[in-house]
Amino acid sequence: MIGRVLAGDPSAERALYDAHVDRVFRLVYRMAGDLDRAQDYVQETFIRGFDRLGDFRGESALSTWLCSIAISITLNGLRKVRRFHEREADLDEGMQAGSPVREADPDLKVRLSRAIEALPEGYRTVFVMHDVEGYTHQEIADTLGVQPGTSKAQLFRARARLREALADFARD
Amino acid sequence: MDDDRLDDDRLDDLVRDAARQYNAPPETPKEEMWARVRAGRLSGARRRKGRRVVAPRYWVPWAAAAAAVLAAGIGLGRLSVGPEAPLPVVAERAAPQVNPTAYRLATLEHLGQSEAFLTLFRTSVVAGGNERLASATARQLLATNRLLLDSPAGEDRRARLLLQDLELILAEIAQLSLESREQDLQLIRDGIERGQMMPRLRTAVPAGPNSMQGAL
Repeated sequence: MIGRVLAGDPSAERALYDAHVDRVFRLVYRMAGDLDRAQDYVQETFIRGFDRLGDFRGESALSTWLCSIAISITLNGLRKVRRFHEREADLDEGMQAGSPVREADPDLKVRLSRAIEALPEGYRTVFVMHDVEGYTHQEIADTLGVQPGTSKAQLFRARARLREALADFARD
Repeated sequence: MDDDRLDDDRLDDLVRDAARQYNAPPETPKEEMWARVRAGRLSGARRRKGRRVVAPRYWVPWAAAAAAVLAAGIGLGRLSVGPEAPLPVVAERAAPQVNPTAYRLATLEHLGQSEAFLTLFRTSVVAGGNERLASATARQLLATNRLLLDSPAGEDRRARLLLQDLELILAEIAQLSLESREQDLQLIRDGIERGQMMPRLRTAVPAGPNSMQGAL
């Protein structure tokens, strides 16, 4: 199929897209948490994937190769959005000074979401891939270009951080 | 100790169950994304084709000629100033200088901010609220955009086209009115989609913490 895509066969391009888009979209959406952004990142993943397909050496599965492109695009995109949010938050802080807001105690799902968002980027990526999307440590290692041991260690630390962040919830 | 163990185990179970709901994805919008991938591929191919035809025929000889003239000028200048040459006493008024590196850095910074802004705009303003903040931000970006377009250092045709298209969208957002909100938003959305604004901005701005250095 790769050969046909490289030869410019549009039906092969579509077949490749159909075969991988669900997996890529699920992962990207879990990371981005927003439909517009997820669509943008997936679109860019496939555009870049098709453009660079000639560089694919077959050392890993094609799906792993595409996921590594998707993760790179998603993390870069989210970093830009975070930087922009930080600037916006600085402005808001200045405008809202002196009006403290009391927050209601959220349920576990909300607390967990916030705790996952607060994880360092590497921990969050591994946690989402392993515990949320069910990737193996080997698949994560191939996708992120790290050793399986690194993936395991990051997952262990991510879970420890989450336990710590939600500790009071378990005791209630 | 046993209580702690119990808490940890219970918490792990709770986390595992709740994690499955974390950012639960909707059904994959396959056709919509495929249309965008095709459009992106076509516009990318067109741009590459344009670059291949234009670049070698026109700007390479001119750039080579300019570099040769510059090198000759520097060489002549060095030869004409002997070791005993006196230092100039009065500085002459220099012609306005352009710094292409500074211009490129400023353009990259601006395009990166615009990309992040449009991404947020599509998600937060379209969902409701924040129009005033969006208009104010768009006006600031519009001012920078105009400065970049007017700069004598802005010679890259592709960057100029991108800045011109971006200017239209930023102007529409800056003038977003609450009375005709839905109509305006539709126009802005169309402008962003039709002009392939997001992929073009992302292609122009390499991402990452050291993107500016990398781009140079």
